[in-house]
Amino acid sequence: MPQARKVALVSGGSRGLGAQLVSGFIDRHYRVATLSRTKTTFITKMLRARKGQHFHWGAVDGRDHEALRAFVKDVGDRLGRIDVLVNNAGIAMEGILPTMRTRDIVEVVEVNLTAALVLAQACSRFMLRQGSGCIVNISSVHAIRGHSGVAVYSATKAALDGLTRSLARELGPRQIRVNSVAPGYFDSDMVSDMAEEQKRRIARRTPLGRLARIDDVANAVHFLTSDQASFITGQTLVVDGGITC
Amino acid sequence: MLTAPTLAQIESIVHGRIRAVLAERVGEVARLSSTDKLSATLGLSSLDLAFVVAELEAELGVDPFAKLVSITSVRSVGDLVRAYQQALFPELERSADEHAVAAAVKRAQTRRTRRKRR
Repeated sequence: MPQARKVALVSGGSRGLGAQLVSGFIDRHYRVATLSRTKTTFITKMLRARKGQHFHWGAVDGRDHEALRAFVKDVGDRLGRIDVLVNNAGIAMEGILPTMRTRDIVEVVEVNLTAALVLAQACSRFMLRQGSGCIVNISSVHAIRGHSGVAVYSATKAALDGLTRSLARELGPRQIRVNSVAPGYFDSDMVSDMAEEQKRRIARRTPLGRLARIDDVANAVHFLTSDQASFITGQTLVVDGGITC
Repeated sequence: MLTAPTLAQIESIVHGRIRAVLAERVGEVARLSSTDKLSATLGLSSLDLAFVVAELEAELGVDPFAKLVSITSVRSVGDLVRAYQQALFPELERSADEHAVAAAVKRAQTRRTRRKRR
């Protein structure tokens, strides 16, 4: 009975952690909607394999607020409900702030923060009507510890954690939970340019002795969206092997 | 709604949604007045109002608070009804503006007439 399946909306589900989350929610019998700027091999495969069953993709630029709202409305109208939102889409633009172009600063804020706010607002309308829902914001250890060269990225991720705490207070009375997952360095496009020696150095500083695997992070998201986390809201779950402890 | 609702229907729909929320809280409410304050008189919270707005968006297909109206300007039941009436009938807003301009012109003319008499 497909209509009984819950609905998860994952932003940036075309690759990396987002793609992993899309697959994970499908495995957990959710209907999944995701948006990304481009159609990747993963999306093409999913569309072909699912033939429209339980999987929906939209080409949306995270900077286009109206397109984000229209996507959420389409998903809600098409699938009847939205149970989970994972604000996963994000970009990193390295470089120290004094020499960064203003338009790059604005782009990072738009994609990492404003898009998350717009999606949370639009999805919360459906969740309010349902009287249930769960939002997970993908933050970062950069929101907790300062690192040179990622000031703007850090600012957006710390802002997401602030959003998590306040939105949890706003929406809690309607049984909507809001949490963050703050991953440390994990195997993704964002660390693909990192030198091997730098990765080894991070692993040496990490109590558990390695970088995170993408599954480590995805599992934390799935836990927070599950009934096992039904009394957890307004929290940031740090998944970093202990590097910030 | 398949056909556009009338102004009276919009009022009735908005009242119905408010009454449904109040019914959950304090039981049935017989009648609402347009001057009833959403918070001070009826005891609606911001989240209750957000719920009403979400329900009305689904029913009427519009969200006046996305661009047209600031939610902070909505204090009374009548304010909320007017926000939806203006969203569905934009000419009302223009008409209200025109009335305001006409009234201002009339006030100015009256002032000029008084000055001449002096």
